[in-house]
Amino acid sequence: MPPVIDKEKCVDCGTCAQICPLDVIRYAKDENGKKHVVVKYPYECWHCRACVKDCPKDAITMRYPLSHMMFAMEIPEEKKN
Amino acid sequence: MEIKIRKDIVKTDYLIIGGGVAGLQSAITAAALGVDVLIAEKADTRRSGSGCGGNDHYMCYIPECHGDDFQKVLSEIGEGMEGGPWQDPAMLKKMMLRTKSIVERWESYGINMKPTGEYRFEGHTMPDRQCYHLKYDGHNQKMCLTKEARKNGAKIMNKVFINDILTNDEGRAVGAIGFSLAEDEPEIIVFQAKAVLVATAQAMRMYPNVNPAFIFNTHSCPAAAGGAAIAYRAGAKLVNIDVPYRHAGVKGFARSGKATWFGVLSDINGDSISPFTDKPDRKRGDAMMDIYPGIFGDRLESAQGPTYMNCTSYTEEDHAYQHQQFQCEGIDSITDYLDQRGIDLHKSMIEFGTYDYSLAQRGIDIDLNAGTNVPGIYAAGICCGNVRGNITSASVWGDIAAESVAEYVKTIPEYDVSKHPLIQQRADFYNELMNRQNGAQWLEANSSLQVIMNDYIGLKVRSEDMMRAGIKYLADLKSYAKKEIGCEDAHQLMRTMELFDLIDLAEAVAITSRNRKESRGMHKRIDYTFTNPLLNNKFQTIRKTPDGEVILEWRNKVK
Repeated sequence: MPPVIDKEKCVDCGTCAQICPLDVIRYAKDENGKKHVVVKYPYECWHCRACVKDCPKDAITMRYPLSHMMFAMEIPEEKKN
Repeated sequence: MEIKIRKDIVKTDYLIIGGGVAGLQSAITAAALGVDVLIAEKADTRRSGSGCGGNDHYMCYIPECHGDDFQKVLSEIGEGMEGGPWQDPAMLKKMMLRTKSIVERWESYGINMKPTGEYRFEGHTMPDRQCYHLKYDGHNQKMCLTKEARKNGAKIMNKVFINDILTNDEGRAVGAIGFSLAEDEPEIIVFQAKAVLVATAQAMRMYPNVNPAFIFNTHSCPAAAGGAAIAYRAGAKLVNIDVPYRHAGVKGFARSGKATWFGVLSDINGDSISPFTDKPDRKRGDAMMDIYPGIFGDRLESAQGPTYMNCTSYTEEDHAYQHQQFQCEGIDSITDYLDQRGIDLHKSMIEFGTYDYSLAQRGIDIDLNAGTNVPGIYAAGICCGNVRGNITSASVWGDIAAESVAEYVKTIPEYDVSKHPLIQQRADFYNELMNRQNGAQWLEANSSLQVIMNDYIGLKVRSEDMMRAGIKYLADLKSYAKKEIGCEDAHQLMRTMELFDLIDLAEAVAITSRNRKESRGMHKRIDYTFTNPLLNNKFQTIRKTPDGEVILEWRNKVK
């Protein structure tokens, strides 16, 4: 799942769910009526990192899916600085 | 279940659809002019839209920096990234003359327009040309604009998706209908307004992207899905949607913001392929990407080879600078990705790619007052089809729309929308979608939409027979989707209605492309291979009458 929420640090304040531009993270009630943040639509994440930046507890990191891999190429040895 | 309809109609003079840069700027200005204004935003204005994470370039004309020769300014801009034939010269002129004022206002809102203490211009520039892109730090721009809008008295409703503009018998805008996404269960909300601004973003997700299996890996925020269709269904003209534009940037991890990279476009051996530069140029960047974003795709398809952004000869200071600029531009997920995978830009080049067609700056036809052909409907930003300029355009036309609306609303009486027939029609359809058991997923239909657009209304070559087939298949897809999609919550209902927006726009793209019986730019017809001089300086528009009849027209460029 792209945004990975560290449940040890998370206080379920709902900030990430509120600001996520893609509505990936929802703020949902459990059976006792208590609200929790849930990464409900992970495949719709755009990796903008709004949740990472705005989390007051630094509880969120990004996992970048293999479907989005960048293609990197080392330059030839003789051209290196 | 029966979806709730909020009992009280939300009343405002000026309803803004979309709280991106255009919507917020319009709200700030309108509220300052004493207009009762409300933004409906499907996410949260602090972090939504194309400028969600930031920006680092703002194209502007500041006479004390650029000199008094305004014609030269227009001519140089006309040949760069924001140039090209698909804009009205009169719009570009009016836009540029307002940019200095916006820059000064943004500074006053708390956006750092002078990170070095003075105006500095960088990037998007060919050799021997002036730079017009102000290098600023926009990482907090959406927060600052939101705060300013609220300070001026604008109201903001976040987590509200607007689906349609309501028009009355005279054909003028009188409100809108949408629903709340705040809870899993949607709640329909009806708006009554004298004027409406469509300030949504470009249509993403209409054509397949770098990895077609992952529909949200797009270069601009994929939340944007066909908002221009809202204006189109209400009778507004769309313009230039038959002439594709493609953006470029990092290949696998699609992301706009290519000009924040100032390395050299290179081949696999690290040798420059750019006519403009063979060494990194922080001041100008490599403008090759701006004037020929198709280069990456063309080189791959012809097997000339992959094309890389080569930063390996940067100084340490250059690396640190670019790293910091990624944050200003809001594309720091790129650096986070590189860090996580241990890719070092000192040693490795990153492949760039040409992206899908995305209706960026192809869309609603606006006039010099940001109005459309439908009274009460205004538009601003990247969903407009006859202006270019990205964030500059969004802020300027949002500002101009606010001034126009401030005058317009004084002349317009209240119109009671409570019995508007579209409200029940939409409610019935939402109920069908939400109550359908074992229905199709919206994603299935979006996938087919991309196949149809790619194969039949494609970017490589087009023909009458191909587009005729595509139009038929789009109609079939729309009909199946209406009868078969099921939604489990408000989120899926939003994605489904975005899908129908995309299909409406896709049909308009197909119809106008079929009607352009010539080849021009990226519109390549195998059955009309010539460029028709009679269509020089003309734009094609499409609109729908209240009876659903499609009207195609050609108009002259506004000089």
